[in-house]
Amino acid sequence: MADLAGPISLSEQIRLVAGLRWRMLINSLHKKNNVLDLIGMGFVSLLALLLVIGPAFAFYFAGYSLVSAGRLPWLAAPFWAIFIFWQVIPIFAAGFGSSFEFRTLLRFPFSASAFYLIGLAYGLANFPALACICWLVLMTAGATVANSSVLPIMLLVAILIILLNVTVERLIGSWLERLLARRRSREIFLGIFILLMFSMQFITPIQSQYVKKNPNPAAFGGIVKYLAPFPPSLSARVISGVVRHDSVDIAVGLSGLVGFVFIFSALLWQRYAAQYRGEEFSESPAPSRAVSLPAAGWRSIPQIIGIGRSFPGLLPPMIGPILRKEFCYLARNGFAFFLLLLPPAQMLLFSSQFGSKHPIIAGRGLNADLFFPAMMAYTVLIVMGPAYNTFAYEGRGIQTYITAPLKFSDIFAGKNLVSAAMIAFEVALCGVVLAWAIGPPSIPTLFTTIFALIFTVSGQLPIANWASLSFPRKLEFGSMRGQRNSGVSVWIMFGAQIVLAGISALVLSTARWFGNPWLPAEGFAFLAAAALGGYFASLQPLSELAEKKKEILIEALCR
Amino acid sequence: MTDVAIRTEKLTRRFGNLFAVDGMDLEVTAGQFFGFLGPNGAGKSTTIKMLTGLLAPSSGRVEVLGIDFATHPVEVKRQIGVVPEGMGLFERLTGTEYLRFVGRMYGLDQQTTERRAQELLEFMQLADRPKTMIVDYSHGMQKKLALAAAVIHGPRVLFLDEPFEGVDALAAGALKSLLGRMTERGVTIFLTSHVMEIVERLCSHVAIINKGRLVAQGSLQELRAGVPGDEGAQVTLERIFLSIVGQHGGPSGMESQVDELSWLT
Repeated sequence: MADLAGPISLSEQIRLVAGLRWRMLINSLHKKNNVLDLIGMGFVSLLALLLVIGPAFAFYFAGYSLVSAGRLPWLAAPFWAIFIFWQVIPIFAAGFGSSFEFRTLLRFPFSASAFYLIGLAYGLANFPALACICWLVLMTAGATVANSSVLPIMLLVAILIILLNVTVERLIGSWLERLLARRRSREIFLGIFILLMFSMQFITPIQSQYVKKNPNPAAFGGIVKYLAPFPPSLSARVISGVVRHDSVDIAVGLSGLVGFVFIFSALLWQRYAAQYRGEEFSESPAPSRAVSLPAAGWRSIPQIIGIGRSFPGLLPPMIGPILRKEFCYLARNGFAFFLLLLPPAQMLLFSSQFGSKHPIIAGRGLNADLFFPAMMAYTVLIVMGPAYNTFAYEGRGIQTYITAPLKFSDIFAGKNLVSAAMIAFEVALCGVVLAWAIGPPSIPTLFTTIFALIFTVSGQLPIANWASLSFPRKLEFGSMRGQRNSGVSVWIMFGAQIVLAGISALVLSTARWFGNPWLPAEGFAFLAAAALGGYFASLQPLSELAEKKKEILIEALCR
Repeated sequence: MTDVAIRTEKLTRRFGNLFAVDGMDLEVTAGQFFGFLGPNGAGKSTTIKMLTGLLAPSSGRVEVLGIDFATHPVEVKRQIGVVPEGMGLFERLTGTEYLRFVGRMYGLDQQTTERRAQELLEFMQLADRPKTMIVDYSHGMQKKLALAAAVIHGPRVLFLDEPFEGVDALAAGALKSLLGRMTERGVTIFLTSHVMEIVERLCSHVAIINKGRLVAQGSLQELRAGVPGDEGAQVTLERIFLSIVGQHGGPSGMESQVDELSWLT
């Protein structure tokens, strides 16, 4: 009989998991691409750090000034800010997070309580949690400087708020994980999420209109009383009670906070216990439970438009099947599909705020000759992103491309053709939306815009293809966590777009200098022809580069 | 037309200081059912990747059907079919769509592709789920589809990396029969597997790799003849494998080390 080791302590288990994460990070740095990716992410982290430091001062002064001025009920505001930031940002940041799932640790002999605590520890070790803890500490410091007697209660409230926030955040994460386990529900959720984010853009114009009609700020006061029973407001009530020696406020506030902590901890315990027991909510490959495409009369988009079948004479024979496959993938990627809806919707939004027909800001808007090309440039900025990681969704299928008797130039031509078709479609749609919302631009501006778009798109495609080969990153259909391009390819995209925008600005300012409205169109026509020539010339060298980079592709995409 | 289907000369692949494949000289005659064996980490998958263009050699040469892979990769790829280690499927296509895609990529016309795709799907018993995406297939179904895709264009050389792993016994029997018939028609099959019984039953010739070096190559009879003792004619491939790999410092000594794991036994 084999000997069995005794159980290890909880702290040792947590230490081991932390060590595992650290080792995984260090090992990932053995690859050059991962190091570059980390450097790219480092820049993003620096920006994130600024995001923490700036508000940290604000929280310190909020704590100090509200306590010293005796405006204690207003302490609810910073607590609410922390609560919202802590709960909302993890959903936004899911795409940038690690794809490591702590649930995979379940195969080890952890106790249920260890599993629960490790889950909480994971929740404390992400960016929003650390930022909020930092702000809470500074707010406590500010309040203590103003009135040292609040220190013990501020510390107690801070601990309860941290515990509550991390519990709620993990609970939401766990529910979402369960909800999003199925591909279709993930895509529906993403659609709702994107629409929600888009709807939030309208808050400013609606608010502007509302404030104009109802300038009395007391109208907002009514909302506050509805927030009173919730933890951030209860926190303010406890502190206020201590300063005013009101034992009822202290008792009600504290018992409320503890009650919330207890309720949410119980709910989280229930969720984690279900996971600990082996709750299965991943998609199963078992055929009996397989998700099938609709059977009756179902035709895919490529079938409907006949891609890859009907114009063999127009395209090299190898490109037809690539186009067909790309359209199949596009039609089945709900997230990509929703992204296509964004640019025209944004055009509507921006034109309602800045355009000349329905201006809100300053009573007058930008004219169509300025607004139209600017918005078209913005559209290209959005829709070009995926081209910088063009193999993202191939997965193991990349091996089919590599073993097939074709050159990578054919693959790039096929993929770029689809990208260009999508961009053309989006630009045309946005153009129509803008023409309707703010009026059409002048003919010289229209031609300038068209040639400038051809220039910027064909100028970027060779760079995007190179980045796709050199810094590929696998993305999953309909998934949120860890879904981001390589940090380096993001910076390459920014760099390329800044350079091309600089060239465009030079052309436009030169034309303005000479006062000839057709000069920019002529300049961009020349640049577009040169960029197109450059694009076709780049295909063969890129094909040769692909031969050298195929190991990187396989390693990144076949994991 | 050459009689040699696959030839490597001093084929080498290094990963840092590690020689995954070290100066391999291999020759496979056209029409052979060739088994390529080796313990875990011996360099089998690295070799098959280099033979199919998935991995560039550090040095050395690969020729398939007399064509140099380095200088004419597209011509070589047109002649071969591959079931790679991870199967290489586009998981968000249906089985039919994937076979159509592969057929067209290999230059088959529309009608031929459609007909062959349908026949292969029926043979592989995948035709009853035409609308199911590959990501929703079981592992065995994915394997069968990968095999179908590897043969749809009628390759002259077929590379199969663990082709029967996860495939049910019924389908595996039919596949073995199909592959046997293909070799009768002159197709060369290069197969890696850890299941010695499969290799012994299907392959006429075998090569064994250990620590990146080719340590034996020949027909099964030739390999049996090399085994010491008088039971040569009856000796199994597993016995041959253990004997050869053991001689070259392979992990066959693991069996004798079992006693050292007294805490487990």
